[in-house]
Order: sequence, then structure tokens, then C-alpha cells
Amino acid sequence: MRAPRSVREILLTSAPIALAVFVFAVSFGVLAITARIPGWAAVLMSALVFAGSAQFAALGVLTAGGGIVTAMLTGGLLNLRYIATGIAVARSLPGGPLRRALLGQLVVDESYAMAAGAGEPGRPDRRTLLVTGASLYTVWVLGTLVGTLLGPVLGDPRRLGLDAAFPALFTALLWPMLSARHAVRCAIGGALVALALAPFTPPGVPLAGAAVVGLWLAR
Amino acid sequence: MAGSLALGLVLGLAALSFTMRAIGPLAPNLPAAITQRTTGLAPALLAALVAIQLTGVNGVLHIDVKVAAVILAAVLSALRLPLIVCVVAGALLAALLRAVFHL
Repeated sequence: MRAPRSVREILLTSAPIALAVFVFAVSFGVLAITARIPGWAAVLMSALVFAGSAQFAALGVLTAGGGIVTAMLTGGLLNLRYIATGIAVARSLPGGPLRRALLGQLVVDESYAMAAGAGEPGRPDRRTLLVTGASLYTVWVLGTLVGTLLGPVLGDPRRLGLDAAFPALFTALLWPMLSARHAVRCAIGGALVALALAPFTPPGVPLAGAAVVGLWLAR
Repeated sequence: MAGSLALGLVLGLAALSFTMRAIGPLAPNLPAAITQRTTGLAPALLAALVAIQLTGVNGVLHIDVKVAAVILAAVLSALRLPLIVCVVAGALLAALLRAVFHL
């Protein structure tokens, strides 16, 4: 068993991740403004949702002409993976049901990865999980605020290539997942179904079709 | 976007995310068969989002600078560069191509 690490030590180890998350949050704030989301709503979203891929997916749906409900459901479905992550950290969370449910909100991909690396097999390190989660939460909300303030002064989003940031981001989020064979199958199936449906249906339908294909091909 | 619509989106997405993060800690004995199924959703939806972003207003695949951004992001991801680098490089490439070729 390793000696427990101090809070300071954990913060230092996670500093590079926190920096990357901050820059990511700034870009979320900027893109939210270009997607015509009010700045306060973007900051509130970061404070209450705290999930980059889900938040960017919601923006992506809106910029592609989709409605609020489609944006909400697409983001929500992307967060389904947190059920599995939540189960993985369940043994590391202290307290009664309410406390555990609230502490579970600090689980993001990065804090989970750090805690799993610092803990024992099957039991991610609690302190690493909570300290990293709390620090990433702070930079995520602050970065979004900075981005919403920067957004209006940046000018034409197309000239800056910001519209291309969405597909580039979704590609970069998808890529590491493709190491699992079933994920490759689901990705190809999802993209093909979305492309087949897109010319004939309103924006929500291709994504719903992709979700069904993903569940179906996941076996 | 109207404030009330934006608030609805934020609160709805927040409720969904809260629920999904709370399920694991509260019900750690969920059958693996169910959680296994959900692992297919993220890749399928992300790939569909890439595809949708590359279609024009008519829903048909439209080849423009975004395709170049996607290819660059894929290459940089394969080289294991950080996420933010892939995104910024993709946007910069798109901006550069637009400025040089007036696309």
C-alpha cells in the first residue's frame, strides 16, 4: 500500500490537467457565445453539468440547427458512461446516500483516471478523486466565464475557424475510445445511420438513430 | 437564444447529468449487462456528431475546410497529443485554409 498523498501533492500532480481543462473551458465559453447562448447560461451550464463532451455536444446540436430537446438528450446520453464510472468509484465514496450522490458529481473522466492510477485495483484513491475533481470543477467554471467574456471581442467565428472546432473536438474525443473493437463498430454504425437520415429528417432524428445503433451494436 | 430556452436547456441537461453521476454511487450492484450496453452510446453519438457537422443545410455531406480539420484532429489524436491541441490545430487549419484560398 502506498502512503497517502497530501492535498498539495495531488494538486501539483494534476496541475497540467487543470491547465488543459482551463483552456478547454475558455474555448467552451467562446463557442457558446458564437452558438448564441447567453453568457450567464454558459457559465451556469458549466457549474451544473461539469461535463465537457456533453456540453460541447449540446452546442454542436444547436449550431447544426437542432432544437433544445435534441441538444439536451444528446448531451445526456453522452453522460451515460458516468453510470459505469460511478459504479467503479462507489467503494471509494464516504457517507450516506445524499453525500455519496453529491460527491459523485465530482467524477469526470480526468479525476477518475487520476484516482484509479493512485489507488488500488478496484478502489480508486478517494482523496485524489475528490481533490482533483474539486480543482477541475473550479477551473472549468472560471475558464467558461473567461471564454464568455472573450467571445464577443473575437469577431467572426468562421474567419477564426471556430465552426471547424466542433467536428475536430468530437473527432479527438472519439479517437481514444476506438481502442475497443465494439466502439469502432458503434462509431461506424452511428455515423452511417446519421448520414443516411440527415437529408430526410429534422436534426434530432439522425442522432437518435445513432444512439439506437450504439446501444444495439455494443454487445 | 431566449433566456428562458437557455435556462431550460441548462437545467434539463444538469438534471440528466446529476442522475447519471448519482446512479453509480447509490446502486453499485447494477448488472454489468446494462452498463456494458451503454458503452456503445458515446462512440456512436460522437461519430454521428462529426458526420452531422460535416453535412450542409440540406443534410448532404459537404466537403469543405471542416473535413481538413477533422483529418488533422484524427492524426494528432493518433499521435496522442492532448485534446485541446487537436481542437485548436483543427480550427487554425480551417482558418488558414479559408484565409489563403478564400473558401
